[in-house]
Parts: sequence; structure tokens; C-alpha cells
Amino acid sequence: MTNDGGWFDRFVDSLPERGWFKFLSTYVVVPYWVWRDPKPKLPGGPRASAQPSENVQRMMNLIMPLKDSSPIGRAKAALAIAQNVDEIFAGLDNVGTVHTARFLLLDDYICMISVYDGDFSNYIRDFIATIGSVFDEVVSLVEGGDDLIPTTHNVERFIDWVHAHDLFQAPDFPTDLFGLQDTASGRSPDSPPHELRSLPRELILQLNANPNISLGGGYRAYPGFSAAQVRGKFGVGW
Amino acid sequence: MNTEFDSNDLQGNILRGYRRDLVRYLILEVDNPAAARRFLAAAVAGNNDAVPAITREKSWTRKPGFCFNIGLTYEGLRALGTPSDCLATFPTEFVQGMTHRAIKLGDFGTSAPANWAPPFNHPERVHVVASVYANDTPQLDQVQDQVARAFNVLGVRNGYNLEDDKVYFGYVDNISQPRFNRIDDPDQAKVDEPIDPLGTILLGYPTRFEDVLFRVPSPAELGHNGTFNAFRILAQDVAGFERYLDTAADALLRHPDVDQLLAPGEEDRIGAGLDRHGALREIVAAQMCGRWRNGVSYEASPDAAVVPDPRAPKFRTNFDYDRTSRCPAGSHMRRVNPRGGPIVQRIANYTRRLVRRGMSYGPRDVDPRKPENDDQEWGLLGNFIGANLGAQFEAVMCDWLNLGLQDPNITGSNDPLFGANSPESSWFDLTLRNGGTIRLRGFPRFVTTRGGAYLFLPSLPAIRYLSELNG
Repeated sequence: MTNDGGWFDRFVDSLPERGWFKFLSTYVVVPYWVWRDPKPKLPGGPRASAQPSENVQRMMNLIMPLKDSSPIGRAKAALAIAQNVDEIFAGLDNVGTVHTARFLLLDDYICMISVYDGDFSNYIRDFIATIGSVFDEVVSLVEGGDDLIPTTHNVERFIDWVHAHDLFQAPDFPTDLFGLQDTASGRSPDSPPHELRSLPRELILQLNANPNISLGGGYRAYPGFSAAQVRGKFGVGW
Repeated sequence: MNTEFDSNDLQGNILRGYRRDLVRYLILEVDNPAAARRFLAAAVAGNNDAVPAITREKSWTRKPGFCFNIGLTYEGLRALGTPSDCLATFPTEFVQGMTHRAIKLGDFGTSAPANWAPPFNHPERVHVVASVYANDTPQLDQVQDQVARAFNVLGVRNGYNLEDDKVYFGYVDNISQPRFNRIDDPDQAKVDEPIDPLGTILLGYPTRFEDVLFRVPSPAELGHNGTFNAFRILAQDVAGFERYLDTAADALLRHPDVDQLLAPGEEDRIGAGLDRHGALREIVAAQMCGRWRNGVSYEASPDAAVVPDPRAPKFRTNFDYDRTSRCPAGSHMRRVNPRGGPIVQRIANYTRRLVRRGMSYGPRDVDPRKPENDDQEWGLLGNFIGANLGAQFEAVMCDWLNLGLQDPNITGSNDPLFGANSPESSWFDLTLRNGGTIRLRGFPRFVTTRGGAYLFLPSLPAIRYLSELNG
């Protein structure tokens, strides 16, 4: 494929910068394509991989809508975390596979961002078994969370729920998006192969289904090492 | 929570093994739901000579001629007419089925579901896996004929017990199993491993995790006293394994630290009449497994396979691991059951226990160690039973058996016997007497998945419930 096409290609390429076309695409073209070619919401979290190095330092971006996002509601959320800091630290220690974890209040959401090793379900399950009561307090502040309390009696549901609220991670190789969309729609991935030039359109349609996403799987300064390996090297025990 | 426990409500293959010579697995499709439900009603009532009765968990005074049990896939529950609001209460991994969990389970490459043997390459048609245990083939044939009148038999798998409870890799197996409260099992009388709560193996009871209860599928009649089974057909590359032991022993003979692995003159302690090469082969085999091939635990006897009484509990089950263990952290046994030993996931000791029931398969009159027989297949028909597939079977498979997350010294490596290995990347550290290690590399995958299914093992009341559905 060549990049210096004729006048028509240059005209088409300039469309996204033209005001009338921006208006047309926002209110007509994109809604039409969304209706014509709806994309299923893609699942959150890191994807299963056969590579050992891909199974450590995995990223969780858990975005949970607050029931009450007023300053008072936000303060309650802040309090719930602050009152349980000791339990959270102890829990992270006992689960043993966590590199970092932090909570954010962001617009109408409370977010839990963490880097962990190994399987997502094991991570969440071990966490519930360690500090389920803290999770109960957090999810009691969140839309749809009441059905999950107590989390120790709703382990399977809680894992599914967290997975559903974990951000979709856009693939590090952009064209991998095609295969993920095919799989989500129940087709075999990349057969027939997709045209590269349809990638921007597919991404726009996907962002309609997954408005919040993680751009890639995240940057790692020391890829392939588990938290326990790092702790071991530092001599702080594992 | 209802913790009333009536063992007569359970299928008999969950808490105990039957110790029969032969097994036949019938892989079934429900093509006529009404006929299948009538069959289940008769099987649970046990009052119809034309339908095999489900074997229950109870002590029998006279051994029955055969034992018959069933497990259902999600597709199978649906085919029988289970309402969708009940189906929705089953756990995600069971709903998705084993083939959708392939990467987590190490089922890729030659083990990928696309390469599985029929009928497992069409998982949507696998509805029921029935097992028949007996001591002679005519019994198995008779039950199969009866089952075939109500179900479409997609495939049959025959297994048998090898002498002395061995598996094709030559190890004595079936030694360590969970043991349970309120279950009297003479096989486990002198075992000192911790007692497991019933919730490890049955739905509706407290689990090893403090306060954690696994969800019982609804209605309770369907879910209570049920459990899940990861049924696996695992081909064992017997010739490849023996070949690798030769290669490893050759390399070790030239290794400067080899005397730390086997002191000169101690070959007889490994096996009568073995030369140095032969003894080193057995040490590699023992460290990879965590047991000598005669069943003696490597941890209990790291310098000798030859012990006065290899069947004594102290050599088989009554030991633990610690930070000075001679049994490698990467060995198969330590990976799948780290006991009370040090692990990264401190909360997880003893929480991922599984009941294992397996029998061997493959042609019996041919030597699997001869390379000219490489076109034949030998292996294990395995059942890995637990109340929560995700918390037990999958948790062991993805983080411990493969990946090795439980100990930073093995993280990034897979189980040497059962892992998803390839010669380019595999490694395993042998432990030495002086605390050092020798790293082995270059071994292939010795166990390939050839088929399997996630099954729900319903209680007797649940089978009755299923038989009364309509639609």
C-alpha cells in the first residue's frame, strides 16, 4: 500500500480535520456504524498467555462506580480505605504475589490499581480469604456491590464482578484488536484476515463499547520477575 | 448453612476409590432428553434390571459386580432441561468448559483442544461422562449396552490398574489423598496429614479458607452434596522420559559436583545392582517427581530408595517440607501439594487440595519404553475432584504446576513431569547434599492432554431432580 495517493485520497485523509465532517461523524456516521456493526464489550484485565514472563507483573485497573459521588460520599470512601490501611498491608503481605496496590477517587469512581503475579482469580480469591471484611466495606460504597456482601460467601460472583469492572487492556500490538473482536463475537480470529485500513474504524467502534480502557498492558522496568523474586533479591524475605 | 451429612446421598466415587481392575468411561450425548431422564430416574432408584444403578457412598457388605457413576458438563445439564436461572448459578469456569480454559491449564501446542482426540474435539456434544468400574470386561460391555439405549455413545475409554498401583512412568501412585472429617477410610488410618474440611470436596460445607463458602448451585437439591471433576486424558511419553533420564545421567557423570548428588559407592542404596549411570537416572526421576519410583518420598529418604519398609507411613505420607528440604521445590509432588512448606501465597497452604482418581490406558502387550512403539499411546485417565474447579484444580495448574509462583527459586519454570515444557526453555534444579543445585535443561513435554471435560458430579437427590425436569 502506498501513502501518496491521488487528490481523492488526500481529500479523504483531511476529512477528520474539517468541522462539518466532525459534526457529521459524531452525530450520524459513528452512531450509524455502531448500529450496523455493534461490538461486544471486551473483557477486562490481562489476557491468558503461555509465556511465563507474561504471567507475572500483571496489571489490574479496577474502576468501580460510587453510589454517592458527592463530597460526603467521597469522604466516606476515603474513610473506608483509611480505617483499613493496616489490614490492607497485612493482606498484601499474606497474599504474597502483589507488587503494588493503590486506591484512587476519580470523578464518579473509586479505583483500585494493582500489579500482581499469576492468575487473576487466585489473586482475588486469596485476597478475599485474607481481608474479605475490607472488601465488604469497599463494595458497600459501590453501585451493584450490595449483592456481593459478604464477599467470603460470594467468592465466585465477586471474582466475576471484579473481572467485569477491570479495564480492557488494548493490545500492545494494535492489529491484535481484530482477533480479540472476532473472538468476542464468536468468530475464529483473523479468518478471513482484516484490512489494515479498517483498524481506526474498529477501534472507534470498540471505544464505544469500552469507553475506558488501559492503553496497552503497562510498562515494566524489570519484566519477568515476580514480587517474591524481587523481595528475595533484596533480602527482605518472601 | 445445612451441614447435615448423609453419605447415602453421595455418589460413591467421590470420597473413596473403588479399587477395581478395570474402568470404562462412556462419553455420551443426550440426543433424546426424555429417554435420558427416564434412564436417570431408574439409575437413581436402582430398581430396574435394564438400567445400571448409581453406586452410592456407603459401606457395602458384599461388593457389587460393577460400580456406575455419572458426571455432567454444562451442556449436558442444559440438554437435560435445567432451567436457565439455575444454570446461571454454576461457576464461570464450569460454564465455559475445559476447552475455554486451555491456556490457563497449559493445554496449548500439542495439547491444544483443537488437537484433542474425538469426541473431545467437539466439546459442545460431550454431555455426560459415565464411569463403570468392574473386574471383568463382560460386565463393562453389559452396562455399556444398557447406557447406549438411552444416550448416544460418542466415545469409549478403557483403563486398568497397573501392578502395584504404578503409572506408566514407573512410579507407585495413588498414595497421598486428602482425608476428611466424618469419613472413615481404612487406607488413611496411619496418615498424619491434616484433616480436610468436607467443603474441600463437597458443595455446601465449610472450606479450608476461614469463613469462605463456595457457592452451591440452585436449587439446593441440585447443588448440595455435589462436586466438580476435571476429567483429563493425559498421554505419557514413556519412551521420551526414559530417553531423557539417559541424557541427564550422561551429563551428570561429567559434572564436577556429581558426588554431591550421589556419593561414590552408594549406588546400591538407589537400587540393587545399579551402576552409577543407572543410579543417577533414578535420582533424576526421583527428584523430578518427589518420590522414588517405589513410592518412597524423596523428602523422607533423600539418599536412598532402598529402605527397610517402603510402605511405612513415614516414607509415604507422614512428612513435611521446610526451607532446608532436600526434595526440590520444583518437583511434581511439591508443586501440586506443598503441604505445610514455605510458599509465597502464605494464605494458600492446604487450600488447593484435590482428590485424584486415575487409571492407566494404552496397549498392555506392548512395551512403551521401546522407541519402535512410538506410534502407540499410553497414559492416564485422570479425575481431579474438588468443590471448586477455580480454587483447586485451576489454581494448582496455572500458578503452581506451571509458572512456579509459589517459590521464587522455581518461578518461570514448569513441572518437569506434567508441565507445558519445551526443550528450548525447560529447566529444573536438582538439589545436592551440600545445599547447592545442578540445573537440568532441554527436556520436552512428557505429558500431553488428549481430551477432557469439566464435570459436575451431582448427588443422588440431584440426579432425581434432573430426571424430573421437562423440556
